[in-house]
Amino acid sequence: MSAARTTSSKGASKPKAKVKPKAKAKAKPTAVADTPSRQPMRRTIRGGRPYFFADPAIDKLLNMLVVLGSEVWTLRERLAALEAIQIRQGGLAAGELDAHEFSAEDESRLAAERKEFIDSLFRILQEQVEEARRR
Amino acid sequence: MLELKHELKLAKTRDEKARMNFVSGLRAHVLNDMATGMRTVYEGDVEPGFRRSAGRTPKDGPEVHKAIKPNEYFKFYSSLRVTAQDMVWQSVFPPLERNRGALKSKATALAKTKRRERRAEHGSLTLQPGFEVPRYVSAIDVHLMAGNYDGEYEANDLAAGALYDNGLAVFSFGLMGQNLDDIGQSIAGFIRLKYPHLKPKKILDLGCTIGHNTGSWRDQFPAAEVHGIDVAAPCLRYAYARAEAQGRAIHFTQMNAEALDFPDASFDVVFSSMFLHEIPQKGIANIMREAFRVLRPGGLMLHMELPPNSQLSAYDAFYLDWDSAYNNEPFYKPFRDLKPEELCRKAGFDPKKYVQFVIPSVGWYGEKVWSESATQPRDVDNDKTGRLTDGILWYCFGAWK
Repeated sequence: MSAARTTSSKGASKPKAKVKPKAKAKAKPTAVADTPSRQPMRRTIRGGRPYFFADPAIDKLLNMLVVLGSEVWTLRERLAALEAIQIRQGGLAAGELDAHEFSAEDESRLAAERKEFIDSLFRILQEQVEEARRR
Repeated sequence: MLELKHELKLAKTRDEKARMNFVSGLRAHVLNDMATGMRTVYEGDVEPGFRRSAGRTPKDGPEVHKAIKPNEYFKFYSSLRVTAQDMVWQSVFPPLERNRGALKSKATALAKTKRRERRAEHGSLTLQPGFEVPRYVSAIDVHLMAGNYDGEYEANDLAAGALYDNGLAVFSFGLMGQNLDDIGQSIAGFIRLKYPHLKPKKILDLGCTIGHNTGSWRDQFPAAEVHGIDVAAPCLRYAYARAEAQGRAIHFTQMNAEALDFPDASFDVVFSSMFLHEIPQKGIANIMREAFRVLRPGGLMLHMELPPNSQLSAYDAFYLDWDSAYNNEPFYKPFRDLKPEELCRKAGFDPKKYVQFVIPSVGWYGEKVWSESATQPRDVDNDKTGRLTDGILWYCFGAWK
């Protein structure tokens, strides 16, 4: 085994690893009614995964960051699709979105929402401040 | 992300496609850009440090690995690569889970269509009731693929095959061809060009999984009867449906390559791709002996594989063995530590009839460069040989019987 640390799946999360060969396998695929209650495929990896940083939490955080990056990218692609559809259907002129200026009212609402977004992003640091305040 | 071109490809939502695109892009970044960066960090920082303390350069892959392990760039490269590998499969599960019923119906319909059309030639699927999957397949999730090739969740399941096919499309970021058949097309085509006298009647693909490289032999040698074997039933079910969807007549059979159920001297070509490195050394020796046995005199055994450590620089050896240490590929380094010439000799092949080729990917380099390689041999020692990166060169070895 490599020197990298791995986690092993123990206890409750123990996967049903040993998949037995099907005794009833037939020479040709036959029509089987689609059972809506089919057992979901297992998504956890047997044998765990390797970690590289001194604290595995860093690897985990990096993973979260990348997954978040993936969702950000997904939103961008979706927005691009939406924009393309709008332009095709005549609801939006090419370049209109980039040239758009918010009204003063919209601008002020967005500013408040932005502040709330940033506050929630760094809420974890605020916890420490609030604990100190209570002491 | 590469969009598969056959009927069995999964229907995906806009967001699912975008997630797959992201993972493919991430993999390309890690395996092209960061891999280049890591080599620079190694040459500019890690290797000079090693030289200062040891008075020499690292002698092999494990020494490079040990020296680079504390380096932060290596840690980011590795951690991101594991994340990307995991995300490959995670990006497939949601559309696959939703489509499992539809996929099965499609596969069944394809089998029926085949019977109805009564094509002059058609393929077949033969599974063995009570077949015992070897532990080196049944007990691990190779390359972090949950469920591995053989995981089954219901009767006549083929979901594992679909997971592999659609996952590989994300994983390969376009380097494995339109239908993940670049290895097959590059190599089968190369053999046809290089050996015009070769007119195989029967061809066998060992450990064929979903048959993505098996079909190329059928394309390149249309007169040949092509067989694919594997231990994993869900992959074979999927392979058969996939081949039928592509109009290719291929015979898929559940069989262990260590103990083939074919008569002596029954094949003209015995091929495998990305297969031997998944097998323990003892099993590899059995497979080579079986290949020798089922080959006709004058037949060719050819394994597309990762290049052996003995023919690579210390750094490139380390780079390829990363998978063995961190990607649930326990037999990958032990295989790469073997000498291919010796493997063939021990199986009964004449050492004078040993062959090995470094073949440019036909998809990446185009027909001209690829076809020229049939007359212009390349050295193995190259940082593109067997490495999933832009400009990939496929390595293969084998022998004539």
